[in-house]
Amino acid sequence: MKRARVLIVDDEEAFADNIAKLISKRGYDIKAVYNGQSALTALDEDDFDVIILDLKMPGMDGLTTLKNIKGKKPSVEVIILTGHGSMESGIDGIQLGAFDFIMKPVRFDELYDKIRQAYQRKLVHEEPVQGSPTDKE
Amino acid sequence: MTKAESNQLPNEEKQKAGHYSRLYRKFVFLTLISSLVPLLLVGWGIYIYYSDFSKDRLKTSFQNQVESHRKIIELFLKERTHDLQLVALNHKLEEIQKQPNLIRVLDSINREGQYFTDLGIINDQGKHLTYIGPYDLMDKNYSQTFWFKEVMKKGYFVSDMFTGFRGSPHIIIASLRIEGEKRWIIRASIETEYLRSLVENVKIGATGEVYLLNQAGILQTSPRFGGRIMDKAPLPIEQFREESGIRTLTLAGSNPTSISSKQIVAHAWMRDPHWLLVVKQEYDEAFHDVNHANRATLIFLHLSLLGIIIITAIITRTMVKTIEKRDLESEQLNKQLIQAGKLASLGELSAGVAHEINNPLAIILMENQVVRDTVDEFPELDADFKEQLIDSLSQIDSQVQRCNLITHNLLRFSRRTVSQIEAVDINAFLNEVIQLMANRAKGMGVHFNTNLEEGQKPIYSDPSQLQQVFLNLINNAIDAHEGKPYGSITISTRSDFQKQGVIIEVADTGSGIPKENLERIFDPFFTTKPVGKGTGLGLSISYSLINKLGGDISVQSVVGQGTHFTLFLPFNRPEDSEKNDEEHPGQTLMPESKKETKQ
Repeated sequence: MKRARVLIVDDEEAFADNIAKLISKRGYDIKAVYNGQSALTALDEDDFDVIILDLKMPGMDGLTTLKNIKGKKPSVEVIILTGHGSMESGIDGIQLGAFDFIMKPVRFDELYDKIRQAYQRKLVHEEPVQGSPTDKE
Repeated sequence: MTKAESNQLPNEEKQKAGHYSRLYRKFVFLTLISSLVPLLLVGWGIYIYYSDFSKDRLKTSFQNQVESHRKIIELFLKERTHDLQLVALNHKLEEIQKQPNLIRVLDSINREGQYFTDLGIINDQGKHLTYIGPYDLMDKNYSQTFWFKEVMKKGYFVSDMFTGFRGSPHIIIASLRIEGEKRWIIRASIETEYLRSLVENVKIGATGEVYLLNQAGILQTSPRFGGRIMDKAPLPIEQFREESGIRTLTLAGSNPTSISSKQIVAHAWMRDPHWLLVVKQEYDEAFHDVNHANRATLIFLHLSLLGIIIITAIITRTMVKTIEKRDLESEQLNKQLIQAGKLASLGELSAGVAHEINNPLAIILMENQVVRDTVDEFPELDADFKEQLIDSLSQIDSQVQRCNLITHNLLRFSRRTVSQIEAVDINAFLNEVIQLMANRAKGMGVHFNTNLEEGQKPIYSDPSQLQQVFLNLINNAIDAHEGKPYGSITISTRSDFQKQGVIIEVADTGSGIPKENLERIFDPFFTTKPVGKGTGLGLSISYSLINKLGGDISVQSVVGQGTHFTLFLPFNRPEDSEKNDEEHPGQTLMPESKKETKQ
């Protein structure tokens, strides 16, 4: 299995850095950015499998960022982090194609589980694409 | 709560009662002033005006009667005088002094009525030549009498009432005839009875009387009451100097029927003879009809007055009651509005706070994990130290989870949670909730009574939110029995088709809620439970959930008897709710669904 590439987008730098630290220890490639604009830039530069996206950010907000991400790379799985505790924005996110949402504060284990699930799904979705030549035509 | 505070409430109520009774008095006073003053002014004005008017008319007619009566008497005496003058002119002395001729003359002048008592022919010496009549007057000489002198001078004479030779009061009429050198007088006396009847023809009620006076104030006829013919009249003649007039006099009664009475007196002077006709009647009788009508008017007026007062009192009472009711309603509405506003702003605030706290909590959790990872990376660490560290980290973890629970509750209380609307059979739903709580209730010695209306129509609502509300209410109800060996919780439902909803009542037999707490139980963070046992959010969350579901919740409580919650839930959720869940009714995003995803 190739290393999953994860992007964390959160304006709380300490939080994003910590997650990056913890995730990379568990054998993932991870990059932390602190706003929506740099997330899109990062996406242009690199491919990512899973993006962890905070909804409430200064500048470009989470939902707009999500829309742009899905516009650029529809296949990337996005996990929404919502500090609102508001499920409505979570639901909005899912309607925009996010994989799931997690309410802050979240235990690392839970987040880690969710990342793994997202990555699994990404792989499952990609397999037929990679495995069937008919799709390529 | 101190004693002073508990005294404030009745004072306030007393003040309010005072306010309404002042309002009542003010309204009554103003209404009465504005309705009674014009009524009384008009009423009394009309009364006075018409009373004067009708009295004047009555007086005028009294006066006219006297006047016409005077004319009748005058005319009578004039006619009699003419009779005699005619006889004197048409007869020669030789003829008339013969007795049979004189009898014939008397008969002819008495043809229309017995006016004359007797008739005599007197020569210029004052001696009777002939006399026909009941008295023996043939030998009388009249030459020295006042009337003889007068008639010789004037040619005719009508006397006052006098006694004369015959010894009884009478009036004489005499006429002089100059026949060549002979002068003779024809003299007749008027039937006093006839004159009396003529005068007393003016019959006026039970107390009226009519009489004639001469210039000297001597009665010419007998009045009905007091005084006799030829006596001095009871009223001094000096009062009646004018031609005619009318006046009211208060007389010291001279007769037994009128001890002291107000009398109306009308008079008229006759020209020839110069007599005074007096008509007198007791004032009360004369004005009986007018007074009667006036009394009726006054009675009617005052009855209307009384009616207005009563109606005013009743209407004002109703009005003040209505105002009081309105005030009470608006006060309650105000309270509800304040409560709703308070909850809304607190909702915003707590959502903000929860969000702000969540971020640091998330960081703490991550730091915790970082430390754990770091500890794992150093296996050479002291085992005890490691154990202690892991313990502390776990403690941090669980405390963060506790904070998380609080913020979660706060966020639920805020309006940003989503409702999942589906058809709910409210009776079955309540039974499920009761089932959930049955064990805990049993432990406290509390049993459930249900009074659920059969055939309830399902309501469209959020069962999980409803469950939260009812679990909360029942939990509180059970807690209210603390210290009581047993008790009950009664849950009843009934449909209200007018308001298009169902009414659910939860009543307990617990300790009740004091009045001063009752107003605050829906306030967030208000709790009477010991520290750490309750967040004070349960009822405020219930309140906001029920409101969001389009219903309402109210409470009544009596200390020592129990608390009674009344909930209203509409059959259908109001229109203005979130559209998302209606568009995607199947998409469930509650925690349970997350678990499913995990599996």
